[in-house]
Amino acid sequence: MSGPGGIREIRGGAFVVGALVLSLVLVGAYLAAGGSSYAPEKTQDPCKPRPWSNPRGLGEIANQFSTSALDGAACKLGVTRETLARALASPASRERFSRRYGIDDAKLSEAIRAGLLRAIDDAEEAGALSPLLAVPLRTTLRRIPLDQAIELVKDARSLLGNLGRYLGPAGGLLEGPAGGLLEGFLP
Amino acid sequence: MALAAVPAALAARRLGPGRTAAVGLAVFAGAGLACAASASLSTLIAARCVQAIGGAAAVTASLELLPATVGGERRAAAVWAAAGATGAALGPAIGGILTDLVSWQSIFIVQVPAALVAAVPILAVARHEAATGIIEPELRRTGRPHLLANLALAMVSAAIAGALFLLVLLLIEGWRLSPIAAAAVVTVMPLASLAGARLVPLVADTKSRAAAGAILVSGGLGGLALLPKATILLTLPPQILVGVGLALVLGALTETALGGRAPQAIHGGWTISARHAGVVIGLLALTPVFTADIDQQRHDAINAGTAVILDSPVNPLLKIDLAQKVSDRMEEERGKVPTIGPAFEPLPDDEGERREVEQLRGELQDQLDRGATHAFSTSFLLAALIGLLALIPIGLARRVEL
Repeated sequence: MSGPGGIREIRGGAFVVGALVLSLVLVGAYLAAGGSSYAPEKTQDPCKPRPWSNPRGLGEIANQFSTSALDGAACKLGVTRETLARALASPASRERFSRRYGIDDAKLSEAIRAGLLRAIDDAEEAGALSPLLAVPLRTTLRRIPLDQAIELVKDARSLLGNLGRYLGPAGGLLEGPAGGLLEGFLP
Repeated sequence: MALAAVPAALAARRLGPGRTAAVGLAVFAGAGLACAASASLSTLIAARCVQAIGGAAAVTASLELLPATVGGERRAAAVWAAAGATGAALGPAIGGILTDLVSWQSIFIVQVPAALVAAVPILAVARHEAATGIIEPELRRTGRPHLLANLALAMVSAAIAGALFLLVLLLIEGWRLSPIAAAAVVTVMPLASLAGARLVPLVADTKSRAAAGAILVSGGLGGLALLPKATILLTLPPQILVGVGLALVLGALTETALGGRAPQAIHGGWTISARHAGVVIGLLALTPVFTADIDQQRHDAINAGTAVILDSPVNPLLKIDLAQKVSDRMEEERGKVPTIGPAFEPLPDDEGERREVEQLRGELQDQLDRGATHAFSTSFLLAALIGLLALIPIGLARRVEL
């Protein structure tokens, strides 16, 4: 159909249908490319178990031990593992966290110890820690001060690499000639 | 502007369009200077209010002056509507470029010579009106405004305001682009709008043009709501749809609202009022949704990024150090999506560790991009829905021939 000035006119209905098709193609293409799921990944509930993935060597065990300890403490406090990790980064961040969530040092201390105990359970279950070491470690960790407990959550290598020091008299078994036993306790 | 448009149009009928437009442009220019010189937000807002009154007078009176220049009311309405659509699309792009290259004050300063240049040809008409004082009494009577066309205009304008406002915010606040880079990106919309204006002569039926335009605007907004990646390239197809749709729908609805009605200035005033009221309502409806979402998404993105750090194989002490720096960046840029790069500086000297940290930085940035983009999804979808709802008054409106 020709309009004024010889311009070829488009029928109104066809024009509307064309617009609709274009819009649907765009929306459909973006949906197919994952547009509806392009969002931050959901973080895991810290109260749910996080399986250990075949830990080998002190570094990997320490890594997963820290993760388990953070999960346990975060579960106890009702926050995410990630929020707690940022809170434990420095005294200033810890203070901000305490103010925001109304959590005092006593409550935090209790939660961190609970976290460390869960980490020992998880390590034992994963076969990464011998039950012979797990029992005295639990007893020791129930008594350590908050700052030291936080340091252990941050870097469990200091715990797992110096078991003798943490276990007191019992740790003597791991010193000197018996030190080789550690190889058997920490696969 | 929404409140001043119709009274300004009445003034144009009473005093004559030439005089009203000349006075309006002078007020607009003077208030623009006051905006540029304002030292506080309250004085800026006050000066902007005065500028809106001047602008409303100039824009509505110009509709009365156009037929003599372009040859007929129908053509005048089409030119006036197209100018309005192009201006709506160009504004954010030009504003962004000027703000970044010069200063925010420059936006107002450049308006002064533009207004003065526009006033030159109008002065002759104003002088003629002053000399003759002819205003035909029968033209003072006004018909009822076209309710459905104006309602649809308000709804479509709310959706378009969402597109422009939210996209600029996404680019600057979410994806951390500079204002000039963001302005360059959103220039696609006015360019598409100019291209879309070429389709207008191909479709005589204003109702079909309006419906197709509203669908394209909503489709584009739907695309922006479903961006599958934080990439500028992916914003281009939705912008093209919004731009073309904008040219079609604003023009068609303005023509419908003006069609067969006299005087044109009054009905033009109603369309200006409807469009600006729509923008205000759109921003009022979308801003709280978007601000609540961005806060939540920022929190989720930081948590997802921290999870990436915690689950990574890097040295545990380095992880905690990174978590602390991320926490500090959050504190420094409270309320915004943080720029995470500095949290990873300086990079470790060890080659292997540096690669791991760089990979972590990329993954954390990805989570932040996901959060920033997703934060705008609901608002874009809401704007798309408002645009689609405009199809109801468009469908109900009877075609009115000029």
